[in-house]
Amino acid sequence: MQVTLLTIMEVILMPIVAFIIGLFMVLMMRKLAARLQRRVGPPLFQPLFDIVKLYGKQTQISHGMIHDIGIIMAVGGYVAAEALLPVPGMDGIAAKGGLITLAYLTMVPSLGLALGVGQCANPNGSIGISRALTSMLAYDIPFIIVIFGVAYQFSSTNLVDIIATQQAGGFSTWGISEMPVLAVAGLFAMHASLGKQPFEIYIAPAEIATGPMVEMGGKFLGGLFVMQSFQLYTASVLYVSLFLGGGENWITFLLKSFGVLAIPVVIAYLFPRYRTDDLVRLVWKWPVMLALIGIAFVMN
Amino acid sequence: MSNTDLSNIEVNQKPVAKRSNPFANVFNELVSFCRSRSMFMLHYCTGCGAIELPPAMTSRFDMERLGIQPMVTPRQADILLITGYVSIKTLKRVILTYEQMGAPKYVIGICSCTVNGGMYWQSYATAKKLDEYIPVDLYIAGCMPRPEAVIEGLQQLMAKIKTDEANSWKKYYEHYDYYLGNQQHLFGNNWQTPTDIIGEAKTYQLEGPNTLGEHTKILESVQRPLEPLEMKL
Repeated sequence: MQVTLLTIMEVILMPIVAFIIGLFMVLMMRKLAARLQRRVGPPLFQPLFDIVKLYGKQTQISHGMIHDIGIIMAVGGYVAAEALLPVPGMDGIAAKGGLITLAYLTMVPSLGLALGVGQCANPNGSIGISRALTSMLAYDIPFIIVIFGVAYQFSSTNLVDIIATQQAGGFSTWGISEMPVLAVAGLFAMHASLGKQPFEIYIAPAEIATGPMVEMGGKFLGGLFVMQSFQLYTASVLYVSLFLGGGENWITFLLKSFGVLAIPVVIAYLFPRYRTDDLVRLVWKWPVMLALIGIAFVMN
Repeated sequence: MSNTDLSNIEVNQKPVAKRSNPFANVFNELVSFCRSRSMFMLHYCTGCGAIELPPAMTSRFDMERLGIQPMVTPRQADILLITGYVSIKTLKRVILTYEQMGAPKYVIGICSCTVNGGMYWQSYATAKKLDEYIPVDLYIAGCMPRPEAVIEGLQQLMAKIKTDEANSWKKYYEHYDYYLGNQQHLFGNNWQTPTDIIGEAKTYQLEGPNTLGEHTKILESVQRPLEPLEMKL
């Protein structure tokens, strides 16, 4: 495949689109939380206000160069991942990258965060990041098994092909109707990867002062807010591409991705938090078991 | 204690050249608008006033619809809420917390204890007027103010931020000598904080004629460089 001007434009445009959708996903998350708690919730542009305000702080407290680079890695990993996630009308470099690259790229932000937080030398931050990496170790195993199963089912690791196959056959060929057990395991793993309750071990406000975010202020916290909107977008769009046939057009695409995200968010605000060891035990037991059963169905 | 009263002193505003281009200040106005609509608060629950904050945050009054949400560390926060009497031991922590916040930062004193000591007026261990030690943007008087009053106060602060009038954080840099003098009066001349306020004032060009003075000289003579804490298991 040749790199054309169109591809370059798509690679630039896709993260921007992802960021805007991600902001609305953050808004939806906060609105749902408010509704569940019988509150009104934040206004429409609240996520944007937060980010502009944080970047507009007048004194920025940096703890050194790795602290700065860590945040860039955390956001950059997701920016790179967006170019590999096809949206309606734009494929970017998805056909060249594929699922395996995407799985790697979604791990980069956690590692970047670990570097950045490490330099802050705050014990709460270090505890938070060790918990974040532990939970990454936990949810990555079902996540990789699910990705393997999907790739085996569609005999391709190319997201463009996977989406095209699902869209050609209609609902009966969607991942969710072909491999429902894997889809449940995938939802479980996605929920754990979002770091929301009950898997919220590393962002524990009352316990370790929001963990990795403890020394982040101003533009660093702003970077984390940007990262969060990318994180929500990446997780839900990846799930939609693997199991719900991607987006035929923008309306179904947005409906599906917001709908998928609403499930873990609604569950999240009804539950308290697990302990770290409980989380690892839970995630290595149930979603892994479901994913293995799902793979057995796919492979028979 | 120095006798100068800072409550009426205006902050040195650098003269801004009036520009004819109507879009010249759009960005600054956008940032101040966002600042007013997104406030992360750090509630330093020193006294009984803290009990009025949970109802202000939760379903009955819901601060989040105004863009106000609680944060847990000073680095992330914009507003420092001092909710009640400040004992001298607490005041040290309040000052440490205040200095670690990123500017622009705002301080709100809730309850009458922060205004004049309230019912602790005769106490030997209570700081009477909070704004002798850190600049306070807004007081919400009452013993204790109801959640409506707290939200009303926060809305007044929002209006001040929107028009760029809430600049009292600059006072701390410009009149550091005054605040440090009052702090030394309470805590003794060995008082020092980990945050280098004079250095910050120089870096961000917030120095005023009163940043340095007799009290900062005392600080310089006793200041020990920060050392990393010893690792212990």
